[in-house]
Amino acid sequence: MATFAMVFVFTACEAQIKNEKKENVKIYGNCNMCKSTIEKAGNINKIAKVEWNKDTKMAAIAYDQKATNLDAVLKRIALAGYDSDSFRAPDDVYAKLPECCQYERAIKTSAKTEMAHTGHSGHDMKATEQKNQSLKAVFDNYFDVKDALVKTDGKLASEKAKGLVKAVTAVKMNELNTEEHNVWMKVLNNLKEDAEHIVETTDAKHQRDHFITLSKSVYELLKVSKYEVPVYYQFCPMANDGKGANWLSKENAVKNPYYGSQMLTCGKTVETIK
Amino acid sequence: MDIKNYNPAKLLLLLVMLTAGSLHAQKVVRYDLYVKDTLVNYAGKEKRAIAVNGQIPMPTLTFTEGDIAEIVVHNQLKESTSLHWHGVFLPNKEDGVPYLTQEPIAPGAVYTYRFPIIQNGTHWYHSHSGLQEQIGMYGNFVMKKREDDKTFRKGIDDLPTVPIILSEWTNLNPDNIDRMLHNANDWAAIKKGATQSYVEAIREGHFKTKLKNEWKRMLAMDVSDVYYDKILINGANSTDLKSFDGKKLKAGDKVRLRISNGGASSYFWLRYAGGKMTVVASDGNDVEPIEVDRLIIAVSETYDVVVTIPEEGLSYEFLATTEDRTQSASYFIGNGVKQLISPLPRLKYFEGMKMMNDMMKMNGDLDDMGMNMSLNQMDMNVVMYPEITGDAKQKDTKQKTDHSQHAMNMDNDPNRYNANALADIVTLNYAMLKSPYNTVLPKEAPVKELKFTLTGNMNRYVWSMDNKILSETDKIPVKKGEVLRITIYNNSMMRHPMHLHGFDFRIINGKGENAPLKNVMDIMPMETNTIEFLANEEGDWFFHCHILYHMMAGMNRVFAVGDYENPYLPDKAKAYKMLQRESNMPHFMAQNDFATNGNDGEAMLQNARWSLGTEWRLGYNDMHGYEVETHLGRFIGKMQWFMPFIGFDWRYRRMGEDEHEKNIFGQKNKKDSRSAVSLGFVYTLPMLVNFQAEVYHDGIARLQLMREDIPISKRLRAGFMANTDLEYMVDLRYVLNKNMGVRTHYDSDMGFGVGFVLNY
Repeated sequence: MATFAMVFVFTACEAQIKNEKKENVKIYGNCNMCKSTIEKAGNINKIAKVEWNKDTKMAAIAYDQKATNLDAVLKRIALAGYDSDSFRAPDDVYAKLPECCQYERAIKTSAKTEMAHTGHSGHDMKATEQKNQSLKAVFDNYFDVKDALVKTDGKLASEKAKGLVKAVTAVKMNELNTEEHNVWMKVLNNLKEDAEHIVETTDAKHQRDHFITLSKSVYELLKVSKYEVPVYYQFCPMANDGKGANWLSKENAVKNPYYGSQMLTCGKTVETIK
Repeated sequence: MDIKNYNPAKLLLLLVMLTAGSLHAQKVVRYDLYVKDTLVNYAGKEKRAIAVNGQIPMPTLTFTEGDIAEIVVHNQLKESTSLHWHGVFLPNKEDGVPYLTQEPIAPGAVYTYRFPIIQNGTHWYHSHSGLQEQIGMYGNFVMKKREDDKTFRKGIDDLPTVPIILSEWTNLNPDNIDRMLHNANDWAAIKKGATQSYVEAIREGHFKTKLKNEWKRMLAMDVSDVYYDKILINGANSTDLKSFDGKKLKAGDKVRLRISNGGASSYFWLRYAGGKMTVVASDGNDVEPIEVDRLIIAVSETYDVVVTIPEEGLSYEFLATTEDRTQSASYFIGNGVKQLISPLPRLKYFEGMKMMNDMMKMNGDLDDMGMNMSLNQMDMNVVMYPEITGDAKQKDTKQKTDHSQHAMNMDNDPNRYNANALADIVTLNYAMLKSPYNTVLPKEAPVKELKFTLTGNMNRYVWSMDNKILSETDKIPVKKGEVLRITIYNNSMMRHPMHLHGFDFRIINGKGENAPLKNVMDIMPMETNTIEFLANEEGDWFFHCHILYHMMAGMNRVFAVGDYENPYLPDKAKAYKMLQRESNMPHFMAQNDFATNGNDGEAMLQNARWSLGTEWRLGYNDMHGYEVETHLGRFIGKMQWFMPFIGFDWRYRRMGEDEHEKNIFGQKNKKDSRSAVSLGFVYTLPMLVNFQAEVYHDGIARLQLMREDIPISKRLRAGFMANTDLEYMVDLRYVLNKNMGVRTHYDSDMGFGVGFVLNY
């Protein structure tokens, strides 16, 4: 029986651009990292080749006239975050660039704060100085839960936690400022879960387990969103099986929610959030 | 009239009649359309398309309500054609559907459509012949409001207005695409990176998901079946709108876009770099203005959308992206540097697969798990959108600060598929549409209630209603003057844009008396929607899924309103048979492996219910032998997993390598020379393994298990076969392009072989 041998020859060769046209175009950018991103976005094997100079900000673009055009190359580069005089990159893509790469933009857009998530590209976020009412409700309820745990009152803690869950669900993300929003995104699920678990049980020991992570979430939130009075971040070294745990209180005097009357004054203030 | 004896009274009467006539004289607006073959190059290759008056899209036809439209079609093609006026109210014989409302316009013929314009709004028109719509026969059809129209809206109807039609271009011949869809050729999936193979599944931590998917007998699913090389807006991939009526556009200016989706099978996401858009009309009917961040426009729908230029010095991108996110087209509005909007990220296919696994029961029915879906309010596909539910799950455990956390803990949250609840992006849905006017139908009209369940089968590409294609049903008789109230349930895995000819219908969407009027309704899997309309125009009106390839597969019905006699179709019964045939055409495929140990191949001719197939194994010499098996089978059931057949087997061999002459039943088999007729059936088992059982006229029985095209990786396919004659085969194939592959296999009769596979 005949056996045929198939030989595949692969010729690796320098990608030559046919019908070549060369143009020099200004592309805004900062550093060498920008250079590699710009060139990677613009290059297509055998179709377009971009060489960008970080000092002159000029790009030498060579492309196959029959297969593509200058606009296509510049659009790709803009979609990677780099403006030119033809295309302006989407704000959310620009915001995702590493800080060192965030070059000075020729055209700045007003009103919209630049958001890191694409989900907000059409959204007006007002940077607010005012105290955020919906977050205040979250904090207020947190303190209620904490007080209940200080009393080792599982039933009361469960009651108060219901209020906390309500407050958490009532928070409208578009009322938060940028920083609050970012933290909120991070802690929301844990906040909800912990609060819900505390509702579901009247066993103070179990509630305290969740209170550990709950306090962590609220702490992060308090750091970016100011409360009406100074808040004390306190620490007990014995809680959480000796690993130590934190909580927040409106009073500087230590009243331990993890041990209640068993060791009421165990712990100390490690930070004051004004 | 005798001039000599004219009567002054008669003359006066004549004069009065003439003047009266001219007072009510309606303006005839005439367009001459020359339909011709042309060559285009939209995506790197010169291909055949159809242009009208030398352009693609077809020329925009503009009328004012009250005009009489006269459209003269000059068919300069070598094939027949037709033109359908989408969503236009007219006498049935002008509707443009070959074999339903007219004979096809013959090659070389000149044909006139003539009808009064009795409505206003954004519409479009297209060929209703074959797949011509895919290669250029689509265009804008705008009917303007009368000057003194009471419904004229200031600030909306007086804005600079631009009609734009979205469409797709493919370098493949649409007939070929249709064939490939019916043969489950997954070349389009390879091009799109949507094969969802086992290697990809393992890499993304979704191996179990893929296994469960195949256990439920599903093939890899995408939101759209076809791969397109380019998307066009008014025939171009990118357009600049810098001025209107000679005036440069500047900051603060508003532009109204009359958008028609002239695509054959693509839904498009519409977004604007300049912020929110205001929807002011749909399918040519005004709606109360709604501000949205984005909307999806179904195949054949139209939306009127108002955008504002926010700042000076920038030209803002209006971007249309295909639902599968592989292609887009831009329309830049304004003057200056082009402000881009970030593209929609690729779909998370395995998340979608997991969602489908949960929704699909073993018998092929969908299970909405009590969610009562309707009106596009819940988009199950949201699990696949990274912009709403976060980036794909990374295999490592480190939590990223993104929105994926929302989806993960929300397995029982009733809002988990509601895009508007999950993120701050406002997406349009039908529950938000409200007519500015009372659209209630006359209360005295009798109501006829109808129910349809949309059914479909991805594996065999059979799309139907109540599991019956058009060729299996009669026209549905409707009394003129009745109100038809139709409830539709989508029991298939794809969304369908259902379109009614000749009428607008109310979509019952909770807006009470102000239910919106549309003529296309997109219905997603597991949704139930109710529409109603007054059947006050007699004729044969088509009701079908507007995805071209689904329509050609039979997902249609005809409402026969009244007892209409159509002067163009004297023999309506015969014409209807032609129409039925058109949407159940047979498709041919053939494949052959030119291998070192012989030729292995198959050919098949099949339509919606029948399949005639032949398989052959031809060695290069008598020792290996030759074998040809033919089966004529009929698919039974909604999922078509069961196919009984009659078969014919022919074999010839001398001194084969494989010595077994007894099968496992102990029956002796004259393998060396055999012709036998058989009766049997094929059944598709979980994991998509085909179980075949047949009995031959000489009493020999054979059972066989076979699976082809196991997607190992993007381009690797594996297969196996084993039967009770103690024959077996395993193979591995690498896909080079849509027609070629390299294959290696081991066959118990023919031994080991390597070869080239060519498939048509």
